[in-house]
Amino acid sequence: MRLAVAEQWVEAPLKRFVDEARVQLAVLLNPSGQVLGQFGFTSSVDVMTACALAAATTASSAELGRQVDGRPFSGMHYAGKTRQIFLGQVPVGAGSLILLTVFDDESSLGLVKLFFAELCANLPAAIPSRVPATPALAGDFERELNRNLAVMFGRA
Amino acid sequence: MSSPFTALLASLIRHRGVTGCMVVGASDGLIVDASLQTGVNGEAFAALSASLYRKAQRAARAAGFGEAGFFELDAERGHMCATGRNDLVLVVVSEPRLNVGLLRVEMLRALEAFA
Repeated sequence: MRLAVAEQWVEAPLKRFVDEARVQLAVLLNPSGQVLGQFGFTSSVDVMTACALAAATTASSAELGRQVDGRPFSGMHYAGKTRQIFLGQVPVGAGSLILLTVFDDESSLGLVKLFFAELCANLPAAIPSRVPATPALAGDFERELNRNLAVMFGRA
Repeated sequence: MSSPFTALLASLIRHRGVTGCMVVGASDGLIVDASLQTGVNGEAFAALSASLYRKAQRAARAAGFGEAGFFELDAERGHMCATGRNDLVLVVVSEPRLNVGLLRVEMLRALEAFA
């Protein structure tokens, strides 16, 4: 399985996370659900679905965090029978990105959290200054989403 | 806040040369309880040592040796010792001057608390 990125600056930090944390799937996206890089997915439809769900879950849990704790939750973990999901926000500049990752017993929550913290430290340093911090406009969203998926799945 | 392991960890940290000891979940790599001196990155150490412990267990089983009882990692500037039972790992990190023999006996005895 290979890592595929829509934005070049994402590649090194995401690759390091995937290699070190030994995860099965990983997708990095912005809060509006646009994918920036992925590892382990074989179909663009799966990536699109994962991104939409991750963005929606992050928005819901952030609001739940605000209600419960006065601030958004920064990470979420779900342990299934054989596979586990970790969803976390990566602060970059004034905004944040979202990492969704799936792992099995080759890794652990502790390892994922450890290398997620490293990703949070590495990504802001890798981000080029020209990248806009504002979310995509609705009109551009679908075009951007399709462009990113096409780049990653070799249809660009 | 105390846990069922607080007394055990307090006893281990008193050993000459021990800089940290912790009880870690073997499958999740998260700290259950710990006694650490300043400078030991507990969360990172817990995650990595639990991963190492699981891999040592798998290696021992793959080699037909059965369950791994105790393992020790010698590094340039210190030791790491680990033993476990029932999905819990007891990890001790120390300076090189540690009396590993004595610590090993105490760690294996401490496993009773994990039963």
